[in-house]
Amino acid sequence: MAAISLSKLNKHYGSLFHAVKDVDLEIADKEFVALVGPSGCGKSTTLRMIAGLEDISSGDIRIGNRVVNDLPPRDRDIAMVFQNYALYQHMSVYDNLAFGLRNKKTSEAEIKAAIDRAAGMLGLHELLARKPKQLSGGQQQRVALGRCIVRNPEVFLFDEPLSNLDAKLRAQMRIEIKRLHAAIPTTSVFVTHDQVEAMTLGDRVVIMRDGRVQQVGTPLQVYGKPANKFVAGFIGAPAMNFVSVTVRSDGGATTVEADGLKLTVGGADARALAAYNGKPVIMGARPEHLALGEGAPGASFDAHVEVVEQLGSEILLETRVGSHGITVARVPAETVIARGDQVRVSAQPGRLHFFDPETELPITTS
Amino acid sequence: MPIVTRPDFLPGLPKWSRKTLFALALFGICFAFAFPVLWLILTSLRPESGVYYVHRGTEFTLASFAEVLTDDRIVSAFLNSALISTLATIFSLLVTVSSGYMLSRFTGPASRIWFGTIYVFRCIPYISWVLPLYFVTQSWGLYDTYTGLLLPHVAVHICFFSWLMKGFFDGIDPSMEYAAMIDGCTRWGAFIRVAIPSALPAISALAVLCWLFTWNEFLFALILTGNRVPMITVVMAQFVTEMGLRWNLMAATAVMALVPAFLVALFGQKYVIRGLRI
Repeated sequence: MAAISLSKLNKHYGSLFHAVKDVDLEIADKEFVALVGPSGCGKSTTLRMIAGLEDISSGDIRIGNRVVNDLPPRDRDIAMVFQNYALYQHMSVYDNLAFGLRNKKTSEAEIKAAIDRAAGMLGLHELLARKPKQLSGGQQQRVALGRCIVRNPEVFLFDEPLSNLDAKLRAQMRIEIKRLHAAIPTTSVFVTHDQVEAMTLGDRVVIMRDGRVQQVGTPLQVYGKPANKFVAGFIGAPAMNFVSVTVRSDGGATTVEADGLKLTVGGADARALAAYNGKPVIMGARPEHLALGEGAPGASFDAHVEVVEQLGSEILLETRVGSHGITVARVPAETVIARGDQVRVSAQPGRLHFFDPETELPITTS
Repeated sequence: MPIVTRPDFLPGLPKWSRKTLFALALFGICFAFAFPVLWLILTSLRPESGVYYVHRGTEFTLASFAEVLTDDRIVSAFLNSALISTLATIFSLLVTVSSGYMLSRFTGPASRIWFGTIYVFRCIPYISWVLPLYFVTQSWGLYDTYTGLLLPHVAVHICFFSWLMKGFFDGIDPSMEYAAMIDGCTRWGAFIRVAIPSALPAISALAVLCWLFTWNEFLFALILTGNRVPMITVVMAQFVTEMGLRWNLMAATAVMALVPAFLVALFGQKYVIRGLRI
């Protein structure tokens, strides 16, 4: 088992494209870290550099206490699961699982024992004689997981392994991966563009954009205290509402105002916003922190319902407030509501986020 | 419910007549391709006196085949063609497969230069190589030898088929090779143990195409060989003599030359179709 450490990691493609910029990341032994971000943010490139499939332009990668910058992938003691399974099409499932161990000159008896154990864990016993082409996507990905387990490597790398599966199977495999990590705790790096996967799987989540790390934190930290507006908008579904508001602070009360909207803010938020009196800021409100009905004084506004999305368990409302679109979640499913209705929406006090429009950093007292 | 509906062929006509017309059109196209071959076979079965009246007369004979098969020169031409086709296929595959792989997977200067070289050579008309090649083989003492014919053929195969092989490898997901490299293989190991086995249908298709190319080739064979290494395509053309045209013998030789090509195409088409679809 081993920790992974990335320091000042950079990747240039030619002189034009700087894919990964000064990435610093410490991953503890046995930790499960999820790298998440939109496509082209450098998360896969970072993973491929850890794997050794991509050269490093500058910086260091350590696995355990070895600097592995110049080691070929086969000497890094890692295993990797790919988006399109990457099973050896011309070999049976058994031979796929045995491939890595045979390369290490392990005895056939030991290989058989290791495959037996992995097949038991993943329910692969009936599939061992088949060829990958005869398996479904979910089965193929389980075989790919098995191929990693039998090798018993120091590090597991996952490159969007669930993207090719349908929604239901994806949820199942997510649980399976989680269970696997509990059974054989191994340092893992999981790349995904799906923030739900990142939040549910990762002990810690790393959010990347344009080659830079935006925030590293536990799922609760990145959800509750996003490091900037990008993270706030990226984490959470449906996405956070952003409204450009102006701060008015006269004497006691601090309010934020926008077209059709006037909210009173109190406590720490008011103190933090004091410096922005008369200036515009960006207010962020998560759809699940908005509710129908009159809330605390000065915390409500009128909204015009434009789209009603009935999910069975709840209703999602797309509303218009002045010139802004605002999504409201967690409306009870039984609520009688239709397009065109006028509703009163209230914000939960203390759950609003404010960002500087220039730096996009959160506005806090500290 | 069909998702895509194809417009009907001549929608105004009743169904039976549309089917008949379609069958006739199909038959017409097949006939246009098959007719010359059928005529050739018919000619080869007529006695020498009947070759100008192939469609009339009822006299058939295998005498032309017997005469051709007892001619040492023709028999050795068959063996030469088979040998050179097979050797050229083997040697060119050794290069083509790895060169196609390089073109598909690597983007360095070496790959770009190689790509450019192949491109340039493909753009030069085939016939303009023949004369220089004649002088080169003469001066290197390779004229009318196996090597003298084999080398140009292998070169042509590499130029023409590397691109095809690149296309095949482009269709194979490289992550399988990455998985192999993580599983303990070197880059070469991943190529040999994972990429080549998954490209086998394509490689078989390529082998068929290479073999047929050399078997059917006429120009190099005509210019670069003399009496020592006769090729079947050249020998076939030599029935045009000062004594007249020996159509029946030429037809019999041509029919026999068709057989191996036909067999290779017949048994290889499965691979060709599968390979070209990768």
